[in-house]
Amino acid sequence: MIDLQALTQAVGDLDEKAIITMIEDFVATNPSGEEAQKIVFACQQGMGIVGELFEKNEYYVGDLIFAGELLSKTIELLKPVLNDVATEKVGSIVIGTVQGDLHDIGKNIFGSMAEAAGFDVYELGVDVSPSAFVEKVKEVKPQIVGMSGVLTLAIDSMKETVKAITEAGLRDSVKIIIGGNPVNEDACKQIGADAFTTNAAEGLKTCQGWVS
Amino acid sequence: MTDAIARTNERNQLFKDLFSGKTPKRVPISNPATQDFAIQYAGLDLAECQWDLTKLEPVYDKFCQDFYTDTYPGGSIRIPSHYQILGSTPIVMSSSGFMQHPDVVGMLAEEYDEFIASPYDCIVETILPRLYTEFNGPPGKVAMALAKAMKAQADDLASLGAIRAKMNAKYGFAAMVGALTEAPFDFMSDFLRSFKGISGDVRRYPDKVAAACEAVLPLMIKKGTLPNPSMLGYTFVPLHMAPYLREKDFAALYWPTFKKMVETLAGMGQSVQLFVEQDWMRYIDYLYELPENTIMRFEYGDPKLIKEKLGKKHIISGLYPVTLLQTGTKQQCVDKAKELLDILAPGGRYWWQADKSIIHLDINGPVVENLRAVLDYVHENGTY
Repeated sequence: MIDLQALTQAVGDLDEKAIITMIEDFVATNPSGEEAQKIVFACQQGMGIVGELFEKNEYYVGDLIFAGELLSKTIELLKPVLNDVATEKVGSIVIGTVQGDLHDIGKNIFGSMAEAAGFDVYELGVDVSPSAFVEKVKEVKPQIVGMSGVLTLAIDSMKETVKAITEAGLRDSVKIIIGGNPVNEDACKQIGADAFTTNAAEGLKTCQGWVS
Repeated sequence: MTDAIARTNERNQLFKDLFSGKTPKRVPISNPATQDFAIQYAGLDLAECQWDLTKLEPVYDKFCQDFYTDTYPGGSIRIPSHYQILGSTPIVMSSSGFMQHPDVVGMLAEEYDEFIASPYDCIVETILPRLYTEFNGPPGKVAMALAKAMKAQADDLASLGAIRAKMNAKYGFAAMVGALTEAPFDFMSDFLRSFKGISGDVRRYPDKVAAACEAVLPLMIKKGTLPNPSMLGYTFVPLHMAPYLREKDFAALYWPTFKKMVETLAGMGQSVQLFVEQDWMRYIDYLYELPENTIMRFEYGDPKLIKEKLGKKHIISGLYPVTLLQTGTKQQCVDKAKELLDILAPGGRYWWQADKSIIHLDINGPVVENLRAVLDYVHENGTY
């Protein structure tokens, strides 16, 4: 039987070889969906360690990206044994890089961490217009909208997007968080978002606070 | 001598003094707003103007007239014509009309050995066709696409050059030349392996990353060499990946070839301007090791610490937060300029630039008024 603590630790250490070996050996035993679910949970806890090390400045953004890649690889390996297991979601979030901006690295890091933490993540991609945000919010009724951007023009696009969400009568039904290089407290106020972050781990904590 | 020529001479002297570590007559200023901003300020369509650069002369005239600057404004410009003709994926236009650089993969992890053996051949034969769709197909078609792109680029550069010459003749900016290059690790990341790819490589094959940085170093030096090193000007090096690495990876993989590159360029007698993007405070002691008079334009960081650690050896710039121009009052913006001037100007070695370029204009926002107030304030109060 797989050592779940060792797996959690290997994810925290970003030890790719150890993780892959453990998961492959596990899948080879033809386990039940429930057993596989425990593996996913152990990996999620490992991602929690990664987030903590990031906050302590032991890991940096490059490490978070690598962690996201490892997690997707792990889920991919587990897929054949995970089928039919209903997973409980902690909440739902629509994310996208705002209009005029094509930068998606920060958004992707946040998206993979939010997914790992059990959120349903609806990903709109880059250069997303205010109306595309509004349409998706109408369609999936998320608790949270996350807007990302790197360029200073993103501040203006975020403002436009919040305005469009408000005009569609949806502002009270969602919390809005903005993230990316140019955001700060003043920008957040002016945009009319509920929270801002330049740190994916911290942003995730804010979102977890909103849905708990 | 016309007034404009006299102004050019005066401004050239400011930068000659600055770049050689002497205290100039006053703090030199560069307007952080770019051509994209200027087009929007003139009320024209951003995408359309970039396809027809002949429209830009009145745009630049108004821009130069309304915003104080000692150097020709406009920023580094990515002209869309040749990128589009080549089917570019690393540089593309977004819906706002702003040209930008998405995260792309030009080289696969299994191609490291090929790259290390001969970077130039690998770039030409493998990487360019992957990044530019029009470099694929029969040789005749590829040759035609390349010829068309180069002709379009030459025409566009000629249009921009003619406008620049007119503005310099009218407004008397400093006569500076520039080259652009990247740190070897940043080049590997930005155009070859992508942010995501290199983040895995650093852990999976650090030796290959180090060898690839060494292999590409001569090309990066060549790209960053000015036509004549004694010319007034600098090699611009935007720095990207260091803040996203652990220090041990930075020390082993980023720093050695970057340091060699800056030392080699400085050793040829030319100035180097680093755009120290994001926050490099944990690397400030490394930066101290770079050659005297290296220009460092910072995005974030503690101005007092930067002045204290680097201010006697290097030339400090940046740090002024352009988002404040979007969100602050005029008084707050001017106060911030004063605060930075008080910290960074004493003893010289300070060039007023902002922490980022201003690429976008919300016509109803306060940026125009705030930016003008800040530029005028520094111009009037930056004297020694």
